[in-house]
Amino acid sequence: MIWLIASALLFSIGAYGALTRRTAILMFLSIELMLNAAALSLISFSRLSGSLDAQVVVLFIIAIAAAEVAVGLGLIVAIFRRRETTSVDELRQLRG
Amino acid sequence: MSVGFWEILALLLLVGTGLAVVRLQNAVHAALALIANFLVVAGVYVALEARFVAMIQIIVYAGAIVVLFLFVIMLLSAASANVGQDLLPRLPWVAGLGAAGLAAVLVYALTRFQPPANAPALGGGLPQALGPLLYDPEKWLYALLVVGFLLLVATVAAVVLIEPERIISATSHPAHPRQDQKPTPPMTEQKDGKAVVKR
Repeated sequence: MIWLIASALLFSIGAYGALTRRTAILMFLSIELMLNAAALSLISFSRLSGSLDAQVVVLFIIAIAAAEVAVGLGLIVAIFRRRETTSVDELRQLRG
Repeated sequence: MSVGFWEILALLLLVGTGLAVVRLQNAVHAALALIANFLVVAGVYVALEARFVAMIQIIVYAGAIVVLFLFVIMLLSAASANVGQDLLPRLPWVAGLGAAGLAAVLVYALTRFQPPANAPALGGGLPQALGPLLYDPEKWLYALLVVGFLLLVATVAAVVLIEPERIISATSHPAHPRQDQKPTPPMTEQKDGKAVVKR
């Protein structure tokens, strides 16, 4: 049960980082923290209820996180080549 | 589950490295703290009878994903977290309050979970136990295939994102590939020159 609480705390810390960080890379790091907290809660539920399905789901989460990091860091590098910045505050040309 | 010394130590390490990830002002230090967090989580996985997932966590998360982050941080020379201007000076306090509220709600919701009384043992979460589930057509086989295809699509998308002009011009104007490719090499040379000057 303590690991469920730990995953809740980690998720909140990641949400705080995603809200307060100003560069895209560090926001992305915080989102990874949140993903990992969700995986920790799944593993904890798997242990508590004695089912292995949640561990398979965690494997999928890790694979999808890898794909997400590949695309996300590609986006950040592409934006940096055009704008010479990774600050999310300066990328607001879409605002009407 | 009993709460002993090691559980408290792991909890403190998890929260401490998590706070380091979101508060450190150097992005390289934040990424290294994230590696530490993932290693502690892997240890917790071993304690929770998920040894295969713990190995994958170390190899893929701490070994590949965060190293990719470190490569990008160092490639872009984007180690400083203090970029741009502070548009919302009070945001840390508001975000802290919001995160504390979220933590309270999550802890309340998760502690109301009633585990079944006699949960079966997991067999350590070894690949011998996970493999039949992963490759069972009635369980997770098709999800596994879809995730593999997703990884392929993500790889192709990452390659296209890095060099969009060259790839799009090469496919849409196969007769004159030289004309559109010419502007790109000086740009990269300029980038290299700038990077060299910075160092």
